[in-house]
Formats: sequence, C-alpha cells, structure tokens
Amino acid sequence: MSKPSDSETSEQENTGSRPLFGKFSRRSFLSQLGVAGLAATTAPLAHAAPAAPQAEAETAAAAVPGAAPVALKVNGQTHKLMLEPRVTLLDALREHLQLFGAKKGCDHGQCGACTVHVNGRRVNSCLSFAIMHQADEITTVEGLAQNGELHPIQAAFIEHDGYQCGYCTSGQIMSAVALLKEPIGKEDHDVREAMSGNICRCGAYNNIVAAVQHVRRSA
Amino acid sequence: MSTSIIGAAVGRVDGKLKTTGAARYAIDHPLDNVAYGAGVFSTIANGKIVRIDTAEAEKMPGVIDILHHGNADQLYRPAGQFEHSRASEARPPFEDDGVYYYGQFIAVVVANTLEQAQDAATRVKVTYAEEKPLVHLEDAPAPTGEPVANYSRGDAEAAFESAPIKIDETYITPVETHNPMEMHGTIAAWDGDKVTLYETTQGVVNHQQVMSEVLGLPLENVRVISPFCGSGFGGKLFPWPHSMVAALAARRVKRPVKVYVPRSMMFTTVGHRPYTKQRMRLGATADGKLVSIQHDVLSTTSKVDTYVEHCTSSTPMLYTCPNVKAVQHLVPLNVGTPTPMRGPGTVPGIFPLESAMDELAIRLNMDPLELRLRNYAEKDESLNLPFSGKHLREAYQIGAERFGWSKRNPKVASMRDGGLVLGWGMSTATWHAGRGGATVRVRLNADGTARASSATQDIGTGTYTVIAQVVSDKTGIPLNKIEVVLGDSSLPPGPTSGGSTATASVMPAVAGATNSVVNTLISIAQRTQGSPFYVKETQGGDPPSLKMTKGFIHAADKAPESGVPFHEILAMRRLSGIDGEAKTGPSEEMHKFSGHSFGSHFCEVTWDPGIARLRVSRWVTVMDAGRIINRKTATNQILGGVVMGIGMALLEETLYDPRNGKPLNNNYGDYLVSTNADVPAMECIFVEYPDLNLNEYGARGVGEIGLAGVASAITMAVYHATGVRVRKLPVRIEDLLGHV
Repeated sequence: MSKPSDSETSEQENTGSRPLFGKFSRRSFLSQLGVAGLAATTAPLAHAAPAAPQAEAETAAAAVPGAAPVALKVNGQTHKLMLEPRVTLLDALREHLQLFGAKKGCDHGQCGACTVHVNGRRVNSCLSFAIMHQADEITTVEGLAQNGELHPIQAAFIEHDGYQCGYCTSGQIMSAVALLKEPIGKEDHDVREAMSGNICRCGAYNNIVAAVQHVRRSA
Repeated sequence: MSTSIIGAAVGRVDGKLKTTGAARYAIDHPLDNVAYGAGVFSTIANGKIVRIDTAEAEKMPGVIDILHHGNADQLYRPAGQFEHSRASEARPPFEDDGVYYYGQFIAVVVANTLEQAQDAATRVKVTYAEEKPLVHLEDAPAPTGEPVANYSRGDAEAAFESAPIKIDETYITPVETHNPMEMHGTIAAWDGDKVTLYETTQGVVNHQQVMSEVLGLPLENVRVISPFCGSGFGGKLFPWPHSMVAALAARRVKRPVKVYVPRSMMFTTVGHRPYTKQRMRLGATADGKLVSIQHDVLSTTSKVDTYVEHCTSSTPMLYTCPNVKAVQHLVPLNVGTPTPMRGPGTVPGIFPLESAMDELAIRLNMDPLELRLRNYAEKDESLNLPFSGKHLREAYQIGAERFGWSKRNPKVASMRDGGLVLGWGMSTATWHAGRGGATVRVRLNADGTARASSATQDIGTGTYTVIAQVVSDKTGIPLNKIEVVLGDSSLPPGPTSGGSTATASVMPAVAGATNSVVNTLISIAQRTQGSPFYVKETQGGDPPSLKMTKGFIHAADKAPESGVPFHEILAMRRLSGIDGEAKTGPSEEMHKFSGHSFGSHFCEVTWDPGIARLRVSRWVTVMDAGRIINRKTATNQILGGVVMGIGMALLEETLYDPRNGKPLNNNYGDYLVSTNADVPAMECIFVEYPDLNLNEYGARGVGEIGLAGVASAITMAVYHATGVRVRKLPVRIEDLLGHV
C-alpha cells in the first residue's frame, strides 16, 4: 500500500495547486484539521467553533431564490443570514454557520443527535425551522464551555466514559444539561426515562446515567 | 509493560473533542464552495429502468446537474475478488438500467443547497419495467445450489437417531439493520486527477484501494480521511455506492460534493444482517452428554452479491461432541446486499445452539449451567488444537456467584418480586481472537511530545486512547503529551476496525515503532559529544545499557531521574525529532492454537402479567478476553454489546413490503433499538488471563463478544418467567399475551 511521508510533506507538494478549500488556504485548513479533527489529545477549545463571519459572507453571496434575511443568536453571537424558510435550525447551524457540533442522525426528531437549547430548553433542531427562532437564544454544544472550562456535564461524560463513537454525544450532553433544570425525580430510572429521547447505538447508557447523576448529586 | 497505564481505567484522549462538538465526522468537514448531492432511489425491487425524466428537476432553482446510468461516467467494477480489497457491492452504481432492490441509487441530483437538492430529487420521474420481486425467504423455493458451509465430524445423523434424548427445533433471526447514529456520508473533493474523500469508514486503507479500483485511478490519487466515525458495527467496513456517487458527481460539477444517505435509505443501500432460518438438532445421553449436533442454516443474500452469514462458525467448537454436522445454504432475494453486522455469523448462529441447550436442560431436568459444564470443550475439536487461552469455567463460576444463580428455582413462573414474575437466563458467549497486519510510525519531538500515526481509525472503540497508552507505557511520556493521528489513508497502512482485531493488531506495531525510536534515541545519546552517555569510539568493552523511563534516557541500572529528558538529547543534535516505524503481521504462534474469547451472561427479566410488560432488569456478564488494556473503554464496549443484544432479543426487526421490497419500518421511530430506559444497571467483570500467543500484551478484541449469547439468555429468561419458548426473534408481547 502507499507509504507517503507525513502530512507536512504532502502539504508541501500541493502548495502550488489551486486553493481547493477556498477561504481556508490549504495550509490553514489542514492545520485546523490537524488540531480540531485529528489531534486527539491537545486541541484547545478555541478551535471548537470555526469563524462564523466567513460563513455569513458565503451564504449572502450564494443568492438562493426565496431566501429571506434571518438573524440567529447562537452561543451569544448574532448572525445575519439569508435563508430559505424551509431551512431547518439544524441545517442552518451546520451548513450555514459551520457549527457541526449538533449532529444529523435521522432528520425526523427520532434520535436526539441534533438536540440544542432554545431559550434554555432542549429541542430537536431538525424539527424546527431556523426562521422561527429569530428572537431566541440558541445554545449549541460549542457554546457550553466557558472560558475554556468544560461544563460539568461535559467533564462528567469524559470521566464516566459516557460515549463511544461520540456521534450522539453532543445531543446527549445538551439533553443532560437541560435536564439539570427539569423537574424530574432523583433516581437513576428517572434519568433513564428523561434521557430516552437520545439514542446511543453504541449503548453507553449506563455511563451516561452515571455522568448525569454525578453532576446532579454534586450540585 | 510493567507500568500501570496498561489496564488502567484511562479516560479517552479524544474525550474533549467529542464532548465539545469539535470532533469532525465525515460530513462535518467545512469545505468551501461545496455542492449537495441528493440521491434518487429505486421504488421497485426488481426490474429495469425504462426512462428517467429529469425535465422538471433540472428546472428547479439551484440544480447544477443530475447524474444517472444514462449520462454518468463509467465506474469500473471493484477488483476485490482478485485483490485483497473488498467492496460491499460488486456492481457499481449507475452501471446499467437494472434494479435489484428497493432503495438502490439510480440518480443523484446536485444543487447549490441541501434543500434545493432534496427538493429536486423528488421531482425526478422514473418509469420502470417491473418484475415480481422475491423479498422473503419464506416465499422462496428450497435452495438447490451447493452449500456454502459443510462441516462434518463423526456420524451426526446416526448418533442423533440412537440418542436417548433428542431436541429438534427451528429458530429464526430477522433482518437487522446496523443503524449507526452517524448516517453514511461522503464529501468528495477533486484537485485535478486526485480526489479526497471525507468518509465515514471502518477502514480508510481498504476504502482507498476500492475507490482507486472503481474510479480507475492510481492508488496515490485517492485519499480517504475519516478522523472520527459515528460508529459502524460492520456496516462501514466496505465502501457503499454513495461514496462512488459523491466522487462521480464532484468530478462532473467541478466542486466538492457532499452526499449523505438519509436514514430511510440506511435500511436499503448500506447493508444489513440477513434473515436466517436455522434447524438445530441435539442428541444427548440421559446424563446430559452431547452425542450429536446438527445445524442446518438458510440465510439470505442479494441477487447481485454472494454474502454468507457464517452461522455455523461456532457450532463445531463451542461444546465437546463427537458427532457434528453443520450445513448452510443461501437464498438470494431482491433486497440490498447484506454485510457483516457486529458478531457476524456467531451472533445469529449461537442463538439456536444456546437456545437448544436450554431446551435440552429442561428436558433433562438439569440446571442449564450444569449442562454446559458437562459438555465443556477442553480443546477446539473442529481444529484439533488447544485453545490459546480458555477460562470459561471461571467465567461461568464468577458470573453465577455474582448473579446468585444458585437461588434459581427452575419451575416456570415460580420466582416473584411482588406482582412481577421473575425470569432468569444465562448463556455462553464466544468470539474469534484474531490479529492482522499493521504499520505504525512513532515520532519523538524536540518539544517533549510524541506522535503516533497509522492509517487505522477509531470507530468509538478507543483506538486513539489504546495507542497513546502503549506509547506512554514504553516511554513514560504522559498521555497529554502524546498526539495520535489516525483516519487518513496517507498515513502508514493500518488495520480495518473490524472483527474485534484492531487492538490486537495495532498494539504490537505501536510497541515495535516505539521501541525502534527509543533505540535510535539511545544511539544518538551515545554518539553525541556533550551527552552524559557519550561513548568514545576508542573505548573498549560494551557501553553501559540505557533505557527510557518517565521520559528520561538513563542508565538501565539507575533511577530515571539520574538521566536526561529525551528532548534534551534531540536538542543537543538540533533535531526536530526522530521517527521509528514498525510493521507487524499476524501472530505466527497462533497457528498452533485455536484463538477465541469466551464469556458468560446471566440475566433477569421481569414480566408484569397485569399489563403484559416485559423488562430486562438485571445483567451480569463475565468475559475471558485476554488482557484488558483500558478497563473503562473495554467495559463500555462489552456492555454496549449487551445493549444491542437486548435490542436483538426484544426490539429489532426490519420488515419488508412483499410487493416492492420497501423496508416498512425504515426509521428510528418504527425500527426500535434499545433506549436508555430499556437498559438496566449492568455489570461486566473480566477474568484476565493475557493471551501471550496473540501479542506481547496478551490483548484480544472486545468489540463483538458482548453481543454473542445475549438473545438466547433473554429468551431463556422469558421462558422461565412465562413458560413461552420464543424461537423467532424478536420476542413480541403478542407471543406472551396468551399467558397473561
């Protein structure tokens, strides 16, 4: 099989080519990928959220017929977008704001991977149109950590291994954070019921319950 | 390998990325100027496309192009049967006008936005010449072809005829769909005649090879990137049509194209575990000694590919028995091609064997655990080889004690907790212990960090973390200074994440690469003037032996801190870092052994006859799976297998419309998988005997074995609670209603 040298070398070989990744130079894109996507140990949180203004400019330039101006306040920052009314909140976050933390698992509100907070309450962002949320405070998983400090639920998920592949994890965490303020019982089975809108096909449920209960009991 | 980091309950090194939303899965990569491809899928299961009318769709806003068999560039057939690569389907998409299953990719609409592509895809009008499809095994004629498995020892038929006790029952396992949380998806981006695929795959190396075959490109012109995979369970082992469709479309429109397979089509065009119908005949003596096992299997495949669900793989080795016959035939249907799903073969194949063992125990009025002990296999009788390590007796014993098995009253519906009837079940678990090839590069950097890289991938199993643990074990460098880079086909070729082999395969190569780079560093320390370990060439005798511990290069007979931090040695030579690489293959030692992990499951169900409510309420699993490298991730994986097994036993079944082969329950609302509330608090215990024949750490994989045996343990518990023996999965409440 192929045995090229390390990625620095292949990057060098390609610097003369067309800037495939547009506003990201190939170098900056790959270095961002190297930190946010590949380096499994040391990525600082600052790389979790890609720069939004670039995405806004891109959306405006595309001139989609039927698009209307939509202002979305996400993680405390207001973004002005041009969106068709049929664009879901999930697709607005992912494809227009490049906030890929909320995941697409079913597009039907059945799996919970797309869970975000709207005014502090958990919702399936795939079942909601972006244009309906212009007056709302939207929080995604990228907005949970404050000043580089993980939210206690995020830290508890790491400590209790409340995931495997990680794909449902953003939704699980957003559900769990919202759950902390919901009037549910104290027992493990109460948490199981309240977390059952978020499927984890890897089956890390015991650990998810342990993580949530750890935070509830230390609160 | 003496340090405590091997075997510790280490948190995942990628934990922060996964909990902050920063982990990039396939369709999360932020490429500029990306276009969106939406598939058009067949709505018949058998026939030909007569006409594809794209007129209306082409006029829809934002549509750039529509590709189908009439206008798409040629894709070549994968060379898998001649090479060491494997594609999921031999027929590439858009090859011709043939339709072989419902939900086959027949066109792709490329547009500027996702919404425009999805909308326009619904406006493509397809006319078919439809033929009657065959979508159910029960509607098919008896197969006449050659058997795909045919094992025999002794004379199983004669021994069965003369056996004093006979069990002869037929069991059915349904089509199951993998349903990983992350839908299959690809972003394809061309740069001249080179293509980069951001893919969700369990094997970047195989994916690269297959795509080079299909696209007709040199291998180095295809790069597959998959830093995170939203799990696969086998469904992402081998490339599916969507990846090829994305590459074709991106080349046509000269922009990156993002294609994902919608959840509904996750039931059609990306594989499934096939339907099986299995007759199991056991013959035994009155004191419970097996004298005959006969296992006859029918399993399904598609009309265009031959996929064998090897249900008989564990039958000849699980118990001692002089006379065994195992035969399997295939039935091709107008459904998509099946593919391995977690524990392929063994998981559906062990259901009838373990169920029949329980039925035999009941007939003998014997405890089902006692029956298993009486037929304990001390060696693999199918290969006539000793096991490389089998401690199943201990796994039975610990599980039974932990669960309280001795308190079981075998009488049906005899055990109660208030108004609830309790049912107890148990079973044996097994899975093959294998190891393949791997190449790993480890670099020690002058900034005091280390970097390990390989073209394998972490599909949620903890590969990033295990690799970091081995590097740390060998060097003493802390985990937070070790970067692990995976999921990129341009790295040294690593193993596919499948068959529970990745950990056992990759660990020797990580260890070898780390040893190599440490030896180089020691050599530098001895050859560099100014180094405390400098050896003058004229000096006689052997230089003092050096080693690396806690990040220090030091004299082997002195404390680590007496030496020099490794990066200072690099600095003395003004080096940015040094590399070590190791390529390892399968274990030669294993040719002398039969490699298997084993385990036991003990479970309790509660049956509420008042409201016909069945719940799994307690679970103890004991695994004999070699040395455990990371207690946290290994426990999680085993219990994750049990969770999937609860779904297999009670919830999961893909149902097809016989008229057109459409999966009727093609979504998470109708195809039920275990949710949090379906799962009790569970316990996993490891009996740890390192399998040193397999690798120097003695580690085996744990990805699949947790699921093996779960369904039969549950149906046994259901019988104990209700008196109903369910031989057709999943258990349905209506199966039990007559016994309320």
